Order: sequence, then structure tokens, then C-alpha cells
Amino acid sequence: MSGILTRLKDKLASYRVPGYRTKFDYKWTMVVDLDRCNGCEACVVACYAENNLPVVGKRDCDISRRFSWIRIERYVEGTYPDVKVKFIPIMCQHCDAAPCEIGCPVYATYHNQDGLNVQVYNRCVGTFTCATYCTYDVRRFNWFTYKWDAPLEQQLNPDVTVREMGVMEKCTFCIQRIRVAKDTAKDEGRKVQEGDMKTACEQSCPTDAITFGDLNDPHSKVSKLAKSPRRYRLLEELDTDPSVIYLKRVMEDRKGSGHGTSHG
Amino acid sequence: MDNISYNEINDDVVRTMTKTTWKYWALLIFCASMAGVLWFGAWAYQIYAGQGVTGLNTPTFWGIYLANFVFWIGISHSGTLLSAILFITATPWRRSIYRSAEAITFFSVLTAAVFIFVHMGRPWNFYWTMPYFTTRELWVNFTSPIMFDVFAISTYMTSSVIFLYFGSIPDLAAVRDKVTGWRKPVYTYLSLGWRGTDAEWHWLSKSYTFFAVFIIPLAVSVHSIVSWDFALSTVPGLNKTIFAPYFVVGAIFSGTAAIVTLMACYRKAMKVEKYITLMHFDKLCMLLLVMSLLWSYINVVEVFSGWYANTSAENETLMYRMFMKPHAYMYWLMILTNSILPLLFIFKSLRRSIFICIIVSIGINVGMWIERYLIVATSLPRKFLPNMWHDYIPSLIEISMTIGSIFFFVMLFLIFVKLWPSISIYEVKEDIGIPMRKGFKRH
Amino acid sequence: MKRRDFLKFIGAGGIGTGLGILFGQAIKPPGSKLIPYLIPPEDVIPGLANWYASLCTQCSAGCGVLVKVMDGRAKKVEGNPLHPVSNGKLCVRGQSGVQTLYNPDRITGPMKRKGARGSNSFEPISWDEAIREVSGKLKELSSKGEAEKLYLLSSSLGGHLGMLADDFMAGFGSSNSIKYDLFDNRNLRYANKSTMGLDAIPHYDIENTQYLLSFGADFASTWLSPVALSRGYGEMRQGGHSARGKFVQVEPRLSLTAANADDWVPAKPGTEAILALAIAREIVESGHYKGSDVSAWKSLLAPFGRTYAAGVTDVDKGKIRTIAKEFMNARPSLAIGGESISGYSNGVSGLVAINILNHVAGNLGIEGGVQPNSSDLFAGRRADRVGPGIDALIKAANGSGIGLLLHYNNNPAFTTPGSAHAVEAIKNVPYIASFSSFMDETTALADIILPSHTSFEDWGDDFTDPAPGFQVATLMQPVVSPVFKTRSLGDTIIGLGKGVGGAAAAKMPEGTYAEHLKDSWSGLYTRNKAMNASELTFERFWRDTLAKGGWWKESKPKMSKLKVSARSAARHISKEPAKFEGDNSQYPLYLIPYAQAGHLDGRGANVPWLQELPDPITSVVWGSWVEINPKTASRLGVKMGDMVEIESPYGKILSPVFVYEGIRPDTVAVPIGQGHKLYGRYAENRGANPLEVLPPTVDSRTGAYALNSTRVRIVKTGRPGDLVKMDVSTDELGRNIVQTVPPGGAPHKDTSHH
Ligand SMILES: Nc1nc2c(c(=O)[nH]1)N[C@H]1C(S)=C(S)[C@@H](COP(=O)(O)OP(=O)(O)OC[C@H]3O[C@@H](n4cnc5c(=O)[nH]c(N)nc54)[C@H](O)[C@@H]3O)O[C@H]1N2
Ligand code: SF4
Ligand code: SF4
Ligand code: SF4
Ligand code: SF4
Ligand code: SF4
Repeated sequence: MSGILTRLKDKLASYRVPGYRTKFDYKWTMVVDLDRCNGCEACVVACYAENNLPVVGKRDCDISRRFSWIRIERYVEGTYPDVKVKFIPIMCQHCDAAPCEIGCPVYATYHNQDGLNVQVYNRCVGTFTCATYCTYDVRRFNWFTYKWDAPLEQQLNPDVTVREMGVMEKCTFCIQRIRVAKDTAKDEGRKVQEGDMKTACEQSCPTDAITFGDLNDPHSKVSKLAKSPRRYRLLEELDTDPSVIYLKRVMEDRKGSGHGTSHG
Repeated sequence: MDNISYNEINDDVVRTMTKTTWKYWALLIFCASMAGVLWFGAWAYQIYAGQGVTGLNTPTFWGIYLANFVFWIGISHSGTLLSAILFITATPWRRSIYRSAEAITFFSVLTAAVFIFVHMGRPWNFYWTMPYFTTRELWVNFTSPIMFDVFAISTYMTSSVIFLYFGSIPDLAAVRDKVTGWRKPVYTYLSLGWRGTDAEWHWLSKSYTFFAVFIIPLAVSVHSIVSWDFALSTVPGLNKTIFAPYFVVGAIFSGTAAIVTLMACYRKAMKVEKYITLMHFDKLCMLLLVMSLLWSYINVVEVFSGWYANTSAENETLMYRMFMKPHAYMYWLMILTNSILPLLFIFKSLRRSIFICIIVSIGINVGMWIERYLIVATSLPRKFLPNMWHDYIPSLIEISMTIGSIFFFVMLFLIFVKLWPSISIYEVKEDIGIPMRKGFKRH
Repeated sequence: MKRRDFLKFIGAGGIGTGLGILFGQAIKPPGSKLIPYLIPPEDVIPGLANWYASLCTQCSAGCGVLVKVMDGRAKKVEGNPLHPVSNGKLCVRGQSGVQTLYNPDRITGPMKRKGARGSNSFEPISWDEAIREVSGKLKELSSKGEAEKLYLLSSSLGGHLGMLADDFMAGFGSSNSIKYDLFDNRNLRYANKSTMGLDAIPHYDIENTQYLLSFGADFASTWLSPVALSRGYGEMRQGGHSARGKFVQVEPRLSLTAANADDWVPAKPGTEAILALAIAREIVESGHYKGSDVSAWKSLLAPFGRTYAAGVTDVDKGKIRTIAKEFMNARPSLAIGGESISGYSNGVSGLVAINILNHVAGNLGIEGGVQPNSSDLFAGRRADRVGPGIDALIKAANGSGIGLLLHYNNNPAFTTPGSAHAVEAIKNVPYIASFSSFMDETTALADIILPSHTSFEDWGDDFTDPAPGFQVATLMQPVVSPVFKTRSLGDTIIGLGKGVGGAAAAKMPEGTYAEHLKDSWSGLYTRNKAMNASELTFERFWRDTLAKGGWWKESKPKMSKLKVSARSAARHISKEPAKFEGDNSQYPLYLIPYAQAGHLDGRGANVPWLQELPDPITSVVWGSWVEINPKTASRLGVKMGDMVEIESPYGKILSPVFVYEGIRPDTVAVPIGQGHKLYGRYAENRGANPLEVLPPTVDSRTGAYALNSTRVRIVKTGRPGDLVKMDVSTDELGRNIVQTVPPGGAPHKDTSHH
């Protein structure tokens, strides 16, 4: 009996990598400098191109089914002529305590050994739970089988699958690029280093607002930027422990506005 | 009931099963075809075309299907709770109604379960949510409230079927002894060779009591668990500690109302007024009144705690739910039907008016459906990031499936009354010839 | 591993893929082969990506790109990290290059008109037939002695393609090359040339400036070289400077760029030049300007007193003084002028005023200011960028001065004011041959279409202008085999030249355009010392240059001094604000049509990604809108999404209302780009084109149409519009979503700067 129990215990332990959620092989992190970002949306199109995102058309846009994995949110403050518009790029925050992961009954979305919130399209049964639970509204659903008008399909990136109807998807931190970097590093018998890869949005961003890298590497740009006094994380009070770090926009208060954004 | 003979009961009940008018067939065919077209036709189209045929969107990924799921699970609490609680509290007036109530439980769980599949993006892979053994050791996620649902609902469904079946065995035997033709072997088989020996009665009573005790916490837990689908999220308007009792109270409330409605129709249609009397309505309406007060209280608590928390997210959700387009009118209709109309039952004469009973109980079910609907349809559209807010308007497909599910449910009940002794023969008999219990008035 | 290794830079010409594909399978029916190559070229390994360096042609900025090609198909465009304009980055349109290449609405092969002109009914013909027919028509024209009646209408043809076209036209005997794009910056070129003697667009060094004063230059989306300037912007804000640069934007609507400014100054439309001059006057009067001609400046600027300017421009006196102070004290500072100021009836004057401002503040020819690009490193001829305006062509067409029109890839039928009646004029032309790749409103008027390759299928080059302070030559190479039965425009021109015979044929090179390009570069290489200094042979140089994406100097040359003389400036400035058509009482609102990031002058409208890309400011997709201040909207009784008529003395369009705090109450703004009648399934019959209601006003000095030159009135229709916007609420509700710190509240940059 005790033999069975021990075996069971070992078995159960094997499902949990020690240090799960606290100690990752890599800790992929994205830093977005809101003082650099000018809201140009180049990152948005880059993500469409890299990740085979479908275009859904006007009618579906009208009921909020646009597919962009990264979006620029804009907030307008004040009235004419004292108006401020603020931009923030929002993609999956790869929360270390991800609400979406709790929700998924089939482990189609789970945390991998690199601290990424990954999505297994093949496993997803489309219960929407993850998207409902996601605090950042970054999840996108394949409402239909999306088509590319020929010959637009020739552009599709073969490194990324085309998702089928009924499954959930979202920003993956360009995991296909991470895989290439890891494979190459493995072939060369080393760890992935700073500069080995960029995410598509980071690659495209004209203002260099997005920086991606390994927080476990103390010399990486993200490690240094993450220590900025301007650092904050989105809706941090909800304790989702996001892997995306924002650097506050430097902005004069609007005249007479005593509320709104916090400073500090 | 004093002047009803044992034989008459047997005859009456078997009559409900064997004597079938064309009206019955017409109704059955109508319900079946409506369920077929409105629900399964629409569903087939949805499976073919994709979930896009709904009005669901980002961020309102849950809509009318989830509302229907919760609603039907709520209805299901009627039977088990009524039957089991009243059984262990030895409340005699349950006897003529509990069988139908248990059937309602089963059929509404079934209807609810279908909605789980309806709301899935890839329903053909539903079995991935079951912890079956695979060589890849792909297990399910036990921390997911959806997973809790899978276990809770399958347990509940199994238990309520067994509960229904166990309680019916003596009656199935009684039917066996009366019927002829193709029915004979069917009921012979179903009655499991029941002969009515002392030992058999003894074991039946034991196991029935066991199930009655077992099923009460189960029913409470099931709706608590269903509430956690919402409450365990972080979404303002869903993330509420009050949700479990709120859902259970609502479930009993709506379930009881459903029984009132159904009983009123059933006794008329099946001409069994002598078994289901005004006294039954009186009692049930009292229960409705109590539940209404409880529900109203919790509803106020929900609003209050949201308001008291005074976060922008909670406040916006409340404002949206109570005062803004497109759903505010539903909120106030719900308050009318769930909190105000049931107050009529303070008056005994109104509790004994079948007309008022039907009006109010249908009102309560409409109101309870709205409650479930509003929980999803007014919380998800107002999540944390205002840029992503988006209203949810159900599509025709969704509305069609919602209406179709009612026909489906009625259809199942219609089939049930022809196949099953829908009034407990042996328990009604217990009433006859037994000395009157204290305070138990007859009419 | 470095990114550089990860990206394989491959020169197609050197290794053979491009040439192999191009010449081996020059004309291959689409989709005829499931697997792109039966015997793949040696550098194609199934499943592995090759990256080819090339050129983005989605606008004239000339960003260098890398195209990821797998199994013979273009998959992704990225900025070429070595390229000094793109610096490895791209804008939304650059990213969409693959959707131009694989656009389902491309013209798939040569066609001849079947129905009435403009009815968009064509039948396919063969390339031989097409070339024969057009050469025949050309010969006919020249035999009638009407060679001057040949007109070439095209977008700006950079590099050797432009020179080839010039050769062809000269050989044929016509001087009528009309290069037209709505945003071809001809006013800016003119202003710079006439005041600074600079026949190019200089480098505006945003990166290193400490104070950027922009008059409506929307460089975050469309102005000049959005990628290069946005990069500069990011560096100015959080780069390695001692202080974070300040940024003030003057314009009547809060554009994407203004949204990033520290201060937005909504001066009254048409008065920005006066504001600039008033600031210049403050600077001169303060004694900051030390030039010897200070008295000339004083008297020139005397009329632009603070009080006068404040009255005209609707900008506070105190504000004018503050800006002037900050602008001269911040060293270096920089003033730039974009579409909103150059689009007035006196557009050149506004741009001159900005040059004056830079001059008196001492920003010319310094780092962080205005930097001239070094002289033409190619020591050879260059194709003229602009030339005569489109109004010349319209005039000629109306006067039957055009016998034959050759047309390529621009769309005046869409990008000129409706009141200019370009379509009617072009319809007068007896014979039109178009080389366009897409069936747009102008191409549909053609009698015959000889469709050209798109950039990823073709050879080419561009001598980028504006350049980043030094000359850049970018090479374009085919990265995939042609998707349809199209041809390189260079080859078509050579074919026609040879077909016509005579002087034109003599001027045409032997062989193909690809060979010609290489020969031309060989000539450049021989002439240019900087080019041939480091390399042994031309072949080697050519291969490396193709692989790298072009040729440029690695470091900035010494800057030559620039100045503006008071005398040259005097000719252009005036106390009068710009003129607007339409009586104030009838048409109470200024109309500002503006370029939007995704569509630019309308060319992006056929790209599904760009249609579905929310406008950065309004978040509207798949349509157009009119921005109205909430006060004005409530006065007019219209709300968000209502359909309204925008009516000027020249016509009216329909558009849904977008209520926007960031626009003056006396102004409305409509984005350019939608409202196509033709141009493929994604663009057609969608939204409205504000150019339809503009007057035919041109700046007589440049021939540029004035975009901001009419007033309009808004008329309610009572119908809901078809506005689809992705943001439901732009109210942050105190949720601390975009958090901010005041300047000085945190170190302006982070120690770890990259
Ligand atoms: N040299 C050689 N050639 C052969 C054979 C041979 O033995 N030797 N055998 C022949 C035979 S019998 C066969 S069946 C074929 C097989 O030929 P292929 O079908 O080409 O088989 P694989 O190379 O095993 O797998 C194809 C790709 O699928 C990917 N893949 C794995 N899992 C998934 C998934 O879940 N989703 C998606 N989208 N991709 C996935 C793999 O990474 C791999 O890149 O080859 C034939 N050709
Ligand atoms: S939609 Fe897919 S990923 Fe999300 S919870 Fe359901 S099964 Fe999991
Ligand atoms: S942002 Fe949303 S989808 Fe991404 S990890 Fe967090 S909860 Fe999950
Ligand atoms: S990291 Fe990759 S997947 Fe995520 S938003 Fe950026 S481009 Fe898209
Ligand atoms: S590309 Fe960069 S600057 Fe542009 S919106 Fe994205 S993050 Fe901001
Ligand atoms: S600015 Fe954009 S469109 Fe223009 S060349 Fe560069 S990437 Fe292409």
C-alpha cells in the first residue's frame, strides 16, 4: 500500500516542476516605454503579418471581433483646448498568476517553463473561460473559419499555424521566434542571449518603445529597464503578476486636473 | 382524498400513461418540432458556421447560452430539493407532486448540459473535459471552475436519475401489473422484479432516505459551483462572494416557481385535480414568498457591496446594469417579478388562486432568467479597460435556441408523463387511511 | 548569435535566385504550380527562410527593407537594420507591402479597353500585342509631328527608372513629364530652394533637438519620412541626451503627432505663418539673433507684433512669448512645417516662415536642427523629383494638347480636387496607356493597360530624399517571382522605346532593365570615389551592395552652412492669413482634409490590414468620418455616428460624425484615403473623399493644390452613419491605465538606455 502511495506521490510531483511560477528557465519580459510610444500602430500590423491574424471585415469589427493581438488603447482627457490623448499598447501580459490559466478546463492555456502563458490551439475546446477571466481583454476567438482572398494566403507565415474555427488565441510573445533562438542556442551549447531574437512588434516599433528579453539575465536591457523609477504594471492591484512592464509616460498635468493619473 | 380507493389511484395513474388523446400527440409533435427546428436546427447551423453566428464578442464571450445553462440548472433544484427536503422533514403534501418535480430536475439538468455543448467553440471535442485515461497523460485542469462544473453536474445528473428511479420502482411494478401489450415487458424489466415484500420495502426506504440526504448538499453544492464559474473570475460584477448563496436561493426560487407553473398545467391537462389540490399551491406559494424575500435581500446586498466597494469598475458595472442601455429595463422588470409580485402571496386567497399562481410563477421564472442573463450580459461588457467595452446583443440564433430549449424541456416532460407514473402511487396511498396528521387539513 | 547572422542577407543578383526566377519564369500563370520550384534554386531550402534586402515603395521615404522569403513566397517585411532611413523599423504601410504584392485585386495581365472609356471593361491581350499597339500609337503621333503631345503622368520615379523614363521622353521628343503625388512636398522643396538655395529636403534632426516646434507636421503617421522621424522622436524623449526634449505642436486638429506633444497650440487655420513670424520677431527683438543683417530682419518682421498675431491667430500673447523664449533658449531647437501649414492657399509662405524661424533661432546646419544632405554623391544626373504640377496636365488635356498619355501608379482622378475636373480632362485625351499595377480611378480611364510589377517583383533603386543627413542609394531587387503576368516598368519602357525606333530607340539600353540597372551602377561606381575606394571589383561591390540593400556612407559628412536671407524671404511673407473659399456666414467651418497613417493619399485603401487597422486617433475602421468639436456638434444637433453632409461651395460629401475634443470648434477635419469608386474590393464604395469638395486652388509658384482652402457647412441628414470605431470609451475613469509622471518627476531617461 505504501509503495503505491509513494509511487502516486512521485507521479503527482512529476506534474509540477519545482519552482513552478517562481523559477523559470527564462523569464521572458516585455518593457513598453510609454514616453517613447507615439501610437503609430506599426507594431499592430507587424503582429498581423507575423502571426497570420485574419482580417474580419467591417461587420465583425462593429461587434468587436477584431483580431489584433496587440492593440493601442487611447484615453482622452480634458476638453478643448486643454486636451491630452494617451496611448498604451496592450498585448497578452503573460501573467505569472494568470486568471486565464485557472479558467481553462483542459490546460489549453497554461504556463510553460519559460514563464510564458502559452496557448495550445489543438487542445482548446472553446469554452471562452480564459477570455472571460482575462483581465486585459487580450484573447481573441476564431468565431468563423477565416479565409484569405487568393493569393493573399501566400503571405501566411509557415512558422505559425493558421488557427481553426472554435479556438482561442492571443499574443504568444512570438513564441516561434523564441523557439528558433532557443534551438540555435541549444545547437551552440549555450543559453539564449540578449539580441538573439526580437518579437515582431518590437522589431517594427519605430520609436523603440518595446523591448523584449530575459529578466533572469541581469545584463539584459529589460532587466535594466525594469528597474526604472517609471516602472509600473497594468492593473497591478489585481495581482495577476504580469510579465509586461510599462514605463510611465512623462506628461504635464492638464491645467486644473487634480485627478486621473497617479504620479510616483 | 379520503374517499379515493387504492384501486382508483392505480387506475388514475395508469390512465395518465395509457389513454392518449390527439391533443397530446399534437402538443408533443409541436414541441418536438419546435425543439428540433429552433434549437437543434439552429445549433447545427452554428456548428457548421461557427460561434460567430451568435452576438458574442470581445469581451462579452459569455452570453445567453451561459444564462440559459445557469437558468436550467436553477430550475433543476426544484425537484431534488423539494422532494428530498420535504421527504426528510416528513412533509406529507409533497407526495403527489414530488415525482414530477424530480423529473423536472432531470430534464432541466439535461437541458442545461446541452447548453454547455452549445456554448463550446468545438463541441465535438467535449470529451477532452473528462478525465479519461490517455496514453499521453493529458489530464484535465482541476483548478478550473469549469472542471468543477463537469464533476458537479455529472454527479448531480446521475444522482437525480437514481433518486427518481429508486422512488419509482414500486409504482413501475404497479404499472407492470396493470398494463398489457408492449408495455408489459418494458415495465417488467424496469420494475426489477419488485414484488412488494417487506424486505424490499425496507431496503427501498433505506436507500431512498440515503439518497434524499445525499442529494440535498449535492444540489446546494452544484449551484454554488455554478456560481463559481463567475465568482472565481476577477471580473467586476462577477467576482462576488455572495454568489453561491445567491445562486442557490435563486435556484430554489425559480425551481419552485417552475413547479407551480407546471403543476397548474398538469393537473388541468391530466385531470388529476383531486391529487394536486389548492393546498399544494398554498404551500408552494408560501415557499415562493420566503424565497422571494431571501432573494431580494441578497440582491440588495450584492448591489450594496458593489457600491460600498466604490471602485470605478464596480460602480460602472452597477450603473450599466441598473440604469443604462441596452439592459436596464430588464433589471427593473426583474425587480418587479422577483421582489414585488411575489408579495401578493402574503394573502392566502391569492395563494389559492390558480390564475395568480400561474401569473406570478411565470413572472418569477422570467425574472430569474433575466437575473442570470444580466449577470453575464452586463458584467462582461464593462471589464477593466474601457477601450474594450462592448455591449452584447444576442443574435436570432441565440434567441431561437433559448426558446427552443423550452420546447425541448416541455417535450421531455410530455414523453415522461406517458412513460412513467408521474404521480407517486404508493406514497399517495400512504395518505389514505392513515390517521390525519396534526394541522393537516383536507379539502 | 547575433541578429545579423540570424538574418541571412542575400543578394539575389549575386547568387542567382532573383535572376533565375525572373528570367527563367518571367511570365508564368498564377498558381500553376503547387510547389514553387520543381528544381529549386540552390539557396532555397524548403522550410527555411531567406531574407532579401530591398526597398519599400509604399511612400517616397525610401525605407530599406528585408523581406523574409520561404519556398519562393514573401512572408514578412521588416526594416533593414543596416539601412540609415529605416534603421530596421517600418511603418504600418511598409509592413503591409506583402498585401500589395499578393493583393487579390491586382491587374493580372495586359488588357485592352472593351466598353466605353471609364466603364472599367477590359479584355485580356498578350504582351506582344500590347507593346505593338502602344508603339504603333506612339509612332503615329511622332509621324504627325506631334511628339510634344506625348505626356507621361506618373508618381515620382526615383533612381534610374526615372532617368530611363526621362531618356525615353527626350528621345521621343517630348518634355512633358508630369510627376504628381498628393503629398509630394513640392511646396517644401520650393520654399527651401527659394530661401536657402537647397534643392532637396534636408534632414530634420528631431533626435538631437531639445525643443521641437512643429507646425502640423504629422511625422508619427505620414510626414516626409515617418519611420526615420519617429525613431528620432523616441530618441529625443528617452534617448541618451542630457535632458528630455520638449515638443510643441501647432495645428487646428490634434493629430497623432500632436497627441504626443507636450503642448498643443490650436492656432486659427490659415494663420500659422503669422504665428511663426511673430515668434521669429520675438527672437530677433530679444537680441538672440546676432547676424549682420539683423536690421533687415527687424524691419521685415516688424509687422508681426505679438498683439497683432494674438488677435489673428487666436493664440494667447503670453503663449507666443513663452514659445519664443523656450524656442531660442533651448539649444538646439527645431521648427518643422507639415501638411497642415503647407496645405493653405499660401502654403509656401508658411514654410518660408518656418525657415525664418529656424534661421533666426540659429538652427540651420547644426546637429539637432536642420541639416542639409550632402551634395549628390553620385556625381551624375538625377531624375527630377517633382517638375510641373498636375494642373499643367489638366490644362493641356482640356486644350487638346495631349495626343497620347502614358500613365503609371498615381491616381489624380482621386487625388485632385473634384472641382479641378481631372477625370473630364483626362477623358479628352485620345489615347491613354497605363502601366499601373492596380485598377484605380485613373487607370480605369486607359485604353490599354500594361501592368507593372510591384516592388517585391522588380528591380529598381532610389536615391532617398529626404535622407538622414547624407546621401543614400537603396537597391530594390525581386524577392519573389512575379505573381501575375506583369512586367517591370523599365522593361516596358525599353520595349516601347525600341518599338518606336529613332532617337527614342537609340536612347534605350541594350538588354533588360535589370541589366541596365547594373550597368548604371557600374557607371556610378566608376565615377564615385567613395564607392570604389573600398572595393576591389565592381562585381564584388554589386554583390555586397545587393546583399546589404544599397549603398550609403557610414558616417555623416561635415555639415555645410545654411542661411535664409531677409531679401529672399521678403518675397514670400505677408500679413494676410491664408484664404478660404466660401462665405463665413454660409459656410462657417474650416475644412482640414488630412492624410491618415494607413491610407496616405488613398493608396493604402486596398490593403485589408490597413482597412482594419483602427485609426490611431479615432479608432475607426473600414470607413471615413468627420471630426467635429463637441460644442459644434451640440450646436448642430449631431452626435457621434450621425451621418452628415459636408458641403462646400464646390460640392458635398456624406460622412458619419466623430465627436472629438481635439479639434477647434470652428474647424472640421476629414481623413483622406477612402471614397474610392474603383481600386479593388477592400477600397471600393467605402467612406468619402474630402478632395471632392475642394476648390481648384493651386499655389501658382508650385502647382500644388491647397488642401486647406475651403470652408464648409455641416448639414444633418437625420440618418445614422456607418461609423465603426473600435474604442467604446476613451475615458480612463481614474483607473490608472496609462500612468504618467510630470517632467522632472522621474529621471528623464533610464540608466540602462539602449
Ligand atoms: N525520406 C523519407 N521520406 C518519406 C518517408 C521516409 O520514411 N523517408 N516516408 C513517407 C511516408 S510513409 C510518410 S507518411 C510521409 C510523412 O511525411 P510528413 O507528413 O512530411 O511527415 P513528418 O515529417 O513526420 O511531419 C510533418 C511536419 O508536421 C509537424 N507536426 C507535428 N505535429 C504537428 C501538429 O500537431 N500540427 C501541425 N500543424 N504540425 C505538426 C512536424 O514538426 C513536421 O514538420 O513521408 C514519406 N516520405
Ligand atoms: S477557450 Fe480554449 S483555452 Fe480558453 S478556457 Fe476554453 S478550452 Fe481553454
Ligand atoms: S493577459 Fe490575459 S491572456 Fe494573457 S496571461 Fe494574463 S490573463 Fe492570460
Ligand atoms: S510579441 Fe509577438 S505575438 Fe505578441 S503582440 Fe508582439 S508581435 Fe504579436
Ligand atoms: S510601434 Fe511602437 S510607437 Fe508605434 S504604437 Fe507600437 S509601441 Fe507605440
Ligand atoms: S515610411 Fe513607411 S511607407 Fe514610407 S518607405 Fe518607410 S516604411 Fe515604407
